[in-house]
Amino acid sequence: MEDKPRDDTKAGSDGRGTGSRSDILGDRVETDRNVLDKNGSAASFRGDVTLSPPSGDSAGDRELLRTARDVCAPKAIGVVEDNEGIHLTLDRGRCIMCGMCQATAPTTFKVQSSYAQPARRLANLVQTQFADLPSVGAIMPIEEIGKQLSEKVKRTLGRSLAIREVDAASCNGCEVEVAALNNPIYDVERFGVHFVASPRHADVLLVTGVCSRNMDLALRRTYDATPDPKIVVAVGACACTGGLFGDTYATSGGISQTVPVDVFVPGCPPRPEAILYGLLLAVDRIG
Amino acid sequence: MTGPTQAAGYEARLRDRFGEGVVSVRLLNGNELHLTIRSKEDLPEACTYVHDELKGVLATVVCSDERRISGEFVLRYAFGIGGGEDLFVIVETRIEQGSPGSRPSFPSVALRLQAATLYEREIRDMLGLVPEGHPDERPMVLHEQWPEDIQPLRKDFDIGTKVARVTDRPYEFLKVDGEGVSEIPVGPVHAGIIEPGHFRFSTIGDSIINLETRLYYTHRGVEKLAESMNLDKVLLVSERISGDEAVANSTAYCQAIEKIAGVTPPRRALQVRAVCAEMERVYNHIGTLAGLSTDVGFGYGAARLSILKERMMRLNEEVAGSRLLFGVNRLGGVGVDLSEEKSVRLLGVTDEVLGDFKRVVSVLRSDSSVMDRLRGTGAISSAAALEIGVVGVTARSSGLGIDTRRDHPYGAYRSLRIDPHHDNLQQVTRFQAEMTRRRGDVLARFETRVEEVINSVEIMREVLQDLDSGRELAVPLTRDTLKPYSHALGYAESHRGQTVHWVMIGEDQDSLFRYKVRTASFSNWPAIEAAVLNDIVADFPLVNKSLDLSYAGNDL
Repeated sequence: MEDKPRDDTKAGSDGRGTGSRSDILGDRVETDRNVLDKNGSAASFRGDVTLSPPSGDSAGDRELLRTARDVCAPKAIGVVEDNEGIHLTLDRGRCIMCGMCQATAPTTFKVQSSYAQPARRLANLVQTQFADLPSVGAIMPIEEIGKQLSEKVKRTLGRSLAIREVDAASCNGCEVEVAALNNPIYDVERFGVHFVASPRHADVLLVTGVCSRNMDLALRRTYDATPDPKIVVAVGACACTGGLFGDTYATSGGISQTVPVDVFVPGCPPRPEAILYGLLLAVDRIG
Repeated sequence: MTGPTQAAGYEARLRDRFGEGVVSVRLLNGNELHLTIRSKEDLPEACTYVHDELKGVLATVVCSDERRISGEFVLRYAFGIGGGEDLFVIVETRIEQGSPGSRPSFPSVALRLQAATLYEREIRDMLGLVPEGHPDERPMVLHEQWPEDIQPLRKDFDIGTKVARVTDRPYEFLKVDGEGVSEIPVGPVHAGIIEPGHFRFSTIGDSIINLETRLYYTHRGVEKLAESMNLDKVLLVSERISGDEAVANSTAYCQAIEKIAGVTPPRRALQVRAVCAEMERVYNHIGTLAGLSTDVGFGYGAARLSILKERMMRLNEEVAGSRLLFGVNRLGGVGVDLSEEKSVRLLGVTDEVLGDFKRVVSVLRSDSSVMDRLRGTGAISSAAALEIGVVGVTARSSGLGIDTRRDHPYGAYRSLRIDPHHDNLQQVTRFQAEMTRRRGDVLARFETRVEEVINSVEIMREVLQDLDSGRELAVPLTRDTLKPYSHALGYAESHRGQTVHWVMIGEDQDSLFRYKVRTASFSNWPAIEAAVLNDIVADFPLVNKSLDLSYAGNDL
């Protein structure tokens, strides 16, 4: 195929228009060799939110944190007050990266330009201030994610990982990002990952959306139609926890209410790198 | 903006026609002419008059449960009047609650105005008002597994209510009988990476003789949810009505609130909005063209175009911090700025993408196996387009010259020409002649999108060259300027077409009493059933892609 890297010595397009005249029809490698080194998220990208200790514990400081909790639309921020002071929790599984908390209390909430890392358990997506946090660690470059994934895939499933994507009522933002994995720049097929047309051919269900009441049955049936062993990856805040759409008459507060979930990928929407990272975590479940 | 004399002219015509039947005619928010009629029985007649005589195009239908305010339900049919007038005529009537045990009802307008069909089914499902004489009595938003007496948009329905599933309500698709007719059910889970929906084909051999779409699988309760939040949070919801339409939908929402508050964002903010709206148009149109290329099996073109889409999405991230342009809008202005440095970069990347885009398009156009698949496929005549009430690219490709940016200019578009080739009359004529000849087939929609990508880049360039040097990005929007229960229409042209948001302020002045969203997809979905008739099943994905419909934007 034209999209595969053919010549490793040739410089790939940086895809970001740094002056050189581009010719899309030319014989040039467009696939990112190492996304995060060069083409990773822009400095302005609103990704993970981290907590720092507040500057003080005055009444004013506390009020600021309470306001931050109240401006958070998906209710990702928790505030507990006791004798020892005020404690914060931040649920990345709910966070939609709007940055309103940072705008309210900038010393405490910091929006990072790196993405929030996927986790196997929802509880691991919750940051607690003043407690020892599991270190987020350095974010791996996509090439590294892909290499590890492809090795695990080979070890556990033979040569390839077959994915069925299910939209269980998302806003279609997550679909845009899942589909981006297939473009020549991410080119996820080079890692042995490919999307299949039927759940009966799939190893993984990649589920987006809040699981609406109208999709509930279809999602369950799709799960039942997938042969064992199977893995479910929840993509995006809605699929993880309900996100902005929460738990209402029409929604269910996340897909784990309907099917068992193996990996949670936070984000609104998660970047393609984060989804790939989620798949890497997912195959560990089989191995 | 409509001059008072024009509005007065319309008022005189309406009073003349309906005489005693008129309770009041009022001009609100600058361009909304509200005609309140005394009797709901006059509703079909009034709507038909506005549609036929005043050349109004149905923009949205809003029903709100105002029993708490006035003891009644209120129905509003809003029509857009284009052609240089920039006016909305809104026919308003009150529906009494009715006696306990009987459902409130109103005479269906759908019998006279096809475009009203789905709105009225939605009202029956969500508010429990019965459109009398409506041709289709099946549930739409709330599938058959919901009990019949649930009306989520009524004020006495709590958003957190968990309703038990029922199993005794069947859903009947239209049955096509005859020798050799077979049925093909597809979905809601599809084969590609797309949203859920169900299609029921009736075919003879390869030919589609009937298609019925079944949607609302992604119904997330957007409108009810909005009633439970403050105005700033609803902005975040509006961006997520349909993720790839974030700028258009949030712009429409902001404009409605700003209209009520009587504030105008700083000029620079309006320019940033317009630039981001055009960026949204560009990355999505390129994505749709890539999809068309995929659906005719031309992987080469699809790969190239999806590279360009990715470049645009990375540019989105640099400019707005989000690959999908979330976070651009704020009530009263914008949340991102276009610094000198960013503007230069934006134009540099866009120019490069545009150059590459034209190269790929010329490859596609010169490939007969691609063109043959597009030409004549999925045709929608302009008569059908008008009757269904389609908007956006689909309407323009069927020869209807409608575009909200021109017909109801807003923000920075007030001072921009948005027609393709507007500086070259010869090209305008040629392009229009081409579109007329195409009769709304897939190729017409392909060509319209190509034109619009080029045109959007021109608009971006024009705006950025003239970027206001002011530092303010938003005006303060104090809540006490928002009177309880005041309402307004906000609208914008997304890459899919017109999106209309009707908002009504709540009692505490920082919430919504009612939020009615009508995206372009809602208007355009019925067109697919007309477009695929007599095409073959294998062309369906192509026709579907060419209409670029959002399920989430329709289902809310």
